[in-house]
Amino acid sequence: MQKNALHILLADDDEDDRLFFKDAFEEVKVQTKVEFAFDGMQLMEYLTQPDAKLPDILFLDLNMPKKTGKECLAEIKQNERLKNIIIAIYSTSSSEQDIEDTFVQGANIYIKKPSDFNDLKKIINEVLTVNWHYQTSGLNRDNFLLRL
Amino acid sequence: MKWIPKFNSSNSLRVIFVIAIFILLFLSSIAYKHNRDLNESSKLLMHNYEINIQLERLMSAIKDAETGQRGYIITRNSRFLSPYLFSRDKVNTSFIALRKLTADNPKQQQNLQRLFKLIILRFASFENCLKYSEPATYDKRKLDNHMFGGRILMENIRFQVDEMNDIEKKYLQKRLKIYDQETSLGPVFSISLFLAAMTFILLAYRQISKDIVRLKIYNRRLLISSGLMAESEKIGKFSTWQWDLETDKIIYSDNQFRLLGYEPGAFVPTKETFLEFVHADDKAMIEKSMEGIVNHKSLPFVYYKIVRPDHQIRYLKSTGKLLVDRNGSKILLGINFDITDEHLLNIELQERNSELEKSNKELASFNHVASHDLQEPLRKIQTFISRVSDADKAVMSESGKNYISKIEISAKRMRVLIDDLLLFSRTNTTKKEFIKSSLTELFENAQLELNEAIEEKKAVIITTKLPKLHVIPYQIEQLFINLIGNSLKYSQNDIAPKIVIECDKIHSTLYPELLDQSVKKFYKITFSDNGMGFDPQFKETIFILFQRLHSKTEYPGTGIGLAICKKIVDNHKGYIIADSTPNKGSVFTIFLPE
Amino acid sequence: MKLFIKFDINTICSLYLKQKLEEENVNFTTLGFGEIELDENLSIEALETLKKNLSPYGFEVVENQKSVLVQKIKDAIIELVYMEDSNNYKSSVFLAEKLNHSYGYLSNIFSEVTYSSIENFIILQKIERAKQLMLVNEMSLTEIAFLLNYSSVAHLSTQFKNTTGITPSAFQRIIRKRREHLKQN
Repeated sequence: MQKNALHILLADDDEDDRLFFKDAFEEVKVQTKVEFAFDGMQLMEYLTQPDAKLPDILFLDLNMPKKTGKECLAEIKQNERLKNIIIAIYSTSSSEQDIEDTFVQGANIYIKKPSDFNDLKKIINEVLTVNWHYQTSGLNRDNFLLRL
Repeated sequence: MKWIPKFNSSNSLRVIFVIAIFILLFLSSIAYKHNRDLNESSKLLMHNYEINIQLERLMSAIKDAETGQRGYIITRNSRFLSPYLFSRDKVNTSFIALRKLTADNPKQQQNLQRLFKLIILRFASFENCLKYSEPATYDKRKLDNHMFGGRILMENIRFQVDEMNDIEKKYLQKRLKIYDQETSLGPVFSISLFLAAMTFILLAYRQISKDIVRLKIYNRRLLISSGLMAESEKIGKFSTWQWDLETDKIIYSDNQFRLLGYEPGAFVPTKETFLEFVHADDKAMIEKSMEGIVNHKSLPFVYYKIVRPDHQIRYLKSTGKLLVDRNGSKILLGINFDITDEHLLNIELQERNSELEKSNKELASFNHVASHDLQEPLRKIQTFISRVSDADKAVMSESGKNYISKIEISAKRMRVLIDDLLLFSRTNTTKKEFIKSSLTELFENAQLELNEAIEEKKAVIITTKLPKLHVIPYQIEQLFINLIGNSLKYSQNDIAPKIVIECDKIHSTLYPELLDQSVKKFYKITFSDNGMGFDPQFKETIFILFQRLHSKTEYPGTGIGLAICKKIVDNHKGYIIADSTPNKGSVFTIFLPE
Repeated sequence: MKLFIKFDINTICSLYLKQKLEEENVNFTTLGFGEIELDENLSIEALETLKKNLSPYGFEVVENQKSVLVQKIKDAIIELVYMEDSNNYKSSVFLAEKLNHSYGYLSNIFSEVTYSSIENFIILQKIERAKQLMLVNEMSLTEIAFLLNYSSVAHLSTQFKNTTGITPSAFQRIIRKRREHLKQN
């Protein structure tokens, strides 16, 4: 469906989670290129390079050392060049407060990290599908909210 | 002001007294006039009497002269002549006296003049009689003539005297008549006037004595209340002061002195004295607010510290008001409260409160972090297991597979526990924002949340219109989710669950033992199901954290769900009760204040 | 000042594409949304240049036949969802008639290319329309449910929740708060 591989970026300090994430994407049918940032600081350093290749979807863990996911989200939304990146929060927290706060701050997707690998694959599939529809079918990205 | 009794008699009393005084003045003036009239009359009487006497004297002197002359003529004894000789003098003195006495009466003077002429003629006739009776010059005819002429003269004189007496008498009578007239009008009039005055005075006396009784009563009350005031100032730790702006005089109540650490009346307060007690920190503020009272006519509560002579610091709260009395004089009334005890207690309470808050926060964050951080490794365990079971189960031994599945079940149970704990801690810690929300909408959201389970169990939910209340929306939604979830979970195996929701607005007096009676109206929402129910003896224990009625293998669950329900209802100052008939169903009833 | 602008993406795209192609001196006829026929055959180099010049504006030349069909299916679905009288049509019949293929065939092709079903796409589009009606036209859920041919409000709510993971009221609340949040920054 996509000629070029979709560029995915995950910012998560947990090694195991990055591994699950990578494995899950490898098993998904859609062609993707997955890259990682190890914490919020590194993520922002990468994104703010003038020639950085911006991801199609940014997966953002909330609980990260140095710079939390929420701080990254706020910075990204205030940056003219970055603010249109589709952002998926990828967190252990299922707190309604966190969900609402991040949506209000401009996140498009909120994913509670599942505790089953198959669930993770399903979720990633759905995110990619819905995202692709939003990218290609003239949907209003301002209304793009998805909670999984 | 209401509490001052009205003695309106003072004005009428004044009027009564003025009238009485006028009557008395009038009466005394009448008496005075009477007295004077009487005096005058008696003088007149005396005058009359004197004239009378002098006339009589005059007459008797002439008669004496006549008698003497006769005796002499008969006897020729010159001894008889002496009365005649004296009589002339006597007549003269009487005449002079009469002249004086009748000086104010021209008519009497005329009469007197005539009388005088007659008397002179009489004496002339006496002389002639004597002359013609003297043997030497005796002439019988002439003597007879003169004797007879004397006789006529005498008659004339008597007549004249009588006339004068008459005039005087008439005059006297006239005077007495006038006097009588004047005085005869007096007695009845003055007695009635006197009685009137008496009545007025008696009335006044009655009023006065009545007022005195009232005054006594009020005075006693005043004494009691001022005593009470002083006592209550002492007990209530407050004091009052008055500042007469006109005279600049300041009066402290007894307790004001005590508040400042002195005996009552220990010094004469002035405007400056009070400021001396005020703590240096608050001086400027108090000075400003004192000016403020004069300008704004009242003083909002000010809080400040004072320092007593023994260096003890007291906390005061003061207020004041500018009063203007009927005469327009301005009096500043102030009240000071000694709030030191409350203040210190407050500080202590605040400290304890913040301590409690801190420990509460710590506990909450511990709870949150514990369950939150526990999730991470658990999730990884579960994810790794899911990976194992996918790829490697085929090559595993039976017991290995068994162990893996046991680990999986335990991990799942731990997950449910942690999730519920998180939920429970969240009902405590997240900010409690009360928003007016439609419970119907929240109920629909809850139903959406449970959609899968409802469809899977083919459950029927019969709902009703629910009110709009000030609630914490997500908590009420959670409450509904838990209650419906409970009914779905503990349904009977072969019967499709049926949950009926009913709602009523009730008066708190209907449940006097359960509901807070200070809140009048409650919404009573009942959730009835046809599930397996429970033994009613557990109807209270099921709301306790970790309390379970079923074994873990029979029904999954943590025993937190209903504890969360109770917590949520508590947060809303409501109540939750449960009842059940085993194998028939359960009823959960929540009461939410209107 | 804040203005809500309702726009027709089809019109904008068509106009813009026309403008761009005219700049490139290409003569063409529009066949439908997302489909044009060039009047003359271009050389491979010229075609590549055209593709390159169009891509910065978000236009991409789709070469695969299946992709073209999927794009047509999508266009038809969008047309259906935004039609005033969409209630009168059954989507499968509408699509089969419109595209001249059996519904089964269309469904297969769609799944093959997009890894998701036509039904899902229709739901996604309907929910998207519901969002728009909710936010822009400020319609009530009852009105929206009727307009989009749902049997009940509950059905719409359930589908909304299943598709987006959040309830319609939460969605409205979040968008409202987000607008306030943007205003503050």
